[in-house]
Amino acid sequence: MHTERATRNTLLTVSGALMLGLVLASCTSTTVDEFRQGETGIESHESIVILGRRQASDYETRADFVNCVGDEVNRGSNSINVVPEQEFVDALFPWFEPRTAPLRTQDLERLMSEEIVAEKIDEFGIRYIVWVDGFTETTGRSGSISCAIGPGGGGCFGFGSWEDDSEFDARIWDVDALTSVGTISTDATGQSYLPAVVVPIPLLARVEANACDSLANQLKSFVNGS
Amino acid sequence: MTKANRISIRPLVLLAVLGLLTGCGASSVTIEGSYPTPTVARLPLKIAVYYDDALREFTYTEFTEQGQEEYNIQSGQSHVDLFNAILPGMFEEVFLVDSLEQAANLDVDAVFEPAIEEFQLALPYKTKLDVYEVWIKYNLRLTTPDGEYIADWVETSYGKTTTEAFRSNEASINAAAVIALRDLASSFTLKFANVPEVRDWLASL
Repeated sequence: MHTERATRNTLLTVSGALMLGLVLASCTSTTVDEFRQGETGIESHESIVILGRRQASDYETRADFVNCVGDEVNRGSNSINVVPEQEFVDALFPWFEPRTAPLRTQDLERLMSEEIVAEKIDEFGIRYIVWVDGFTETTGRSGSISCAIGPGGGGCFGFGSWEDDSEFDARIWDVDALTSVGTISTDATGQSYLPAVVVPIPLLARVEANACDSLANQLKSFVNGS
Repeated sequence: MTKANRISIRPLVLLAVLGLLTGCGASSVTIEGSYPTPTVARLPLKIAVYYDDALREFTYTEFTEQGQEEYNIQSGQSHVDLFNAILPGMFEEVFLVDSLEQAANLDVDAVFEPAIEEFQLALPYKTKLDVYEVWIKYNLRLTTPDGEYIADWVETSYGKTTTEAFRSNEASINAAAVIALRDLASSFTLKFANVPEVRDWLASL
């Protein structure tokens, strides 16, 4: 009995050490770059809208990520009013659909010459339009997990890992000046692990969440002019 | 095995068999979406719109590589909902008619008759891409209330959506189709007055 207890304790210690190591290892590293082209600042009655670019043929900026950035910008210290993406796109339909959305500030200038569009944007109090473009790529998948079930029970055994890389750009357009005032780029990478000892234990690197937080915080500072 | 054990297993076996049978046969997808009224300057026109049965009941069937029916996609009602949303935003007055003969008795400037010519669907497991794609080709027709030709043109639309965890194939197909319908709406709304025959007709009014 003493030997069994010692063996069990050893197994628990080794498993615990392995989990701790993997938890510490499944972190995310994030890089944020800012390129400023003009002065910024925003009044309390003004707002911004954050839109995802969806013109590419092989990817599209996920609405969940855009909403995440919007939520983060809209809360905390120095928060900024953010008009929800879908509400803005529906109110300005059909001018911001993937086929028709302005790609350059010159296109925005042409769009704002439409009185009905300019009035609608003014109703929202939009000072800046932020275009978010990017995606998260999963690479470096390795390992395998096997699961089985039988009369005595079941479980999964094995180990899997993969790397996620989130790269997003945010281009900020000043609606009053009809110019681009800057670009913020964020690149977050992280390694996730999935050991399975009877039950799978996901140790996920929150890559996209970290990219969202970093981009949102930098965007807040940029728009506020700091 | 005791009689008590045999009775408790039977419902599970029945459930498993029913589950397997449910996995066979085509899945039905009815396209449902919401379509905003366009933010455009209205044309000072009275338009009658006629949706024929081919449009109202439009169904596309996707087959597996083995030739079995895989998805039946019904989009007729969604097309009707789309045009009912955008036409009042484009024209001063819009009248729904049940027949072209009914339109002839109305005081309208023109009769609009949309038709779906082609519907295509691309699924990720076939294309090896991480997207669901929908292409739709339309024939749009404008006539006088008496049936005389004004314009007849083709519009195409495209919609795609990426694969997402915890979202069914049916939900993804619906999402891609709704995007395609919105694409049609944006193209039709912005290009209508620039279709050459329509432009000439508007100039003649």
